[in-house]
Amino acid sequence: MSVGFVLWLFAIAFGCSALGGMLGMASGIFIVPLLTLFGHLDIYTAVGASLVSVIACSCGSAGPFLTRGLTNVRLAIVLETATTSGALTGVLLVGIIPTKWLYFLFAAILLVSAQQMWTPRRAVAVLLGAADEKSWGDRLALNSSYPDTTLGETVDYRVHRVPMGMLLMYAAGLISALLGIGSGVLKIPAMDTALRLPLKVSTATSNFMIGVTAAASAGAYFMRGNIVPGIAGPVALGSVLGSLLGARILLAISSEKIRLFFVVVLLLLAVAMTLTAFDVHLFGAAK
Amino acid sequence: MKTKEPVISHLESRLAALLHVGTWLACGLIALGLPLFFILDRKDQHPQFSLAHLADPLMKAGIAVFILLPVLRVIVMLVLFRRQKDYRFAAIAALVLAIILVSVLVGVISSRTAG
Repeated sequence: MSVGFVLWLFAIAFGCSALGGMLGMASGIFIVPLLTLFGHLDIYTAVGASLVSVIACSCGSAGPFLTRGLTNVRLAIVLETATTSGALTGVLLVGIIPTKWLYFLFAAILLVSAQQMWTPRRAVAVLLGAADEKSWGDRLALNSSYPDTTLGETVDYRVHRVPMGMLLMYAAGLISALLGIGSGVLKIPAMDTALRLPLKVSTATSNFMIGVTAAASAGAYFMRGNIVPGIAGPVALGSVLGSLLGARILLAISSEKIRLFFVVVLLLLAVAMTLTAFDVHLFGAAK
Repeated sequence: MKTKEPVISHLESRLAALLHVGTWLACGLIALGLPLFFILDRKDQHPQFSLAHLADPLMKAGIAVFILLPVLRVIVMLVLFRRQKDYRFAAIAALVLAIILVSVLVGVISSRTAG
């Protein structure tokens, strides 16, 4: 492995993460396409490296969310039973699914991400409603409150439709293990529409869970030898440092323009990944 | 609504500290290993033993810390839930740990069968 390649890996991860950080989005979805299309790495090595960077970013950014009381720790551990089960299923499937289908799946996820980026999330009305002893939210005491800085007060919220949320979380864990992404694409609909969490709580809790989900699959990839230190190391370090920088940069250009830029990039990557599935390599063949 | 404010915030600050320290430890290990690659690139000029051989193990250690960090976080939750006598949530945390363990075992087994 050449020094140039190691520096390139670091720079790619740093750049993605810094750009993503400005929008408050996870950049994991860019890592695997860039490493496979331009770095010519095989998809398993790319996924392994991406999983480590996903964990790194989750752990690196969890602190402030926790201390500000935005993370619902109880809900997170309940949902983690579903996400890690999904990850375990993914680990079992990864050797069975042909790589061609992994590229297709990745392209599909890129398209869904582009669509989500195009239509920004709306804040869901926080429905308090009456206590319902039969609901999981009440039985497991998952309902909580968070300090809202814009309102300047503590907002109580209830957790709705936990089984439905668990099902979506299982799918998110499965996709995460197969593609090495944080699966925000599936977690966000689960959190927003099924569980109906306040936006800030859902972002913080989702970010908190990603680390554990990715650790379940990264552990398996590590043992299997799919995590190459010389590749995963610079990618993880670049991602953490990039996300720290990205969160601190004041936007010189409007976030609308960055959003549009991301949509275009996501669409282009979706096309390139689909072509790779058909063995058409735009940027040279993989090793 | 039941609030467990003091205990929960204790749990949250513990977790935040753990993840913070762990992230920097892992980053530090990788950052130590990374520059050694520059030496490794010209390995022909070096004798059998050189600092360059530490590049891979250091980065591997950093990566291992990253992977273990969320697992450790679940262990801390398990211990604190138990201490709060919240056995239901301690059991849920134990279940998450068990699933992770099985997943890692699948990795070990598949690496053996692949040769």
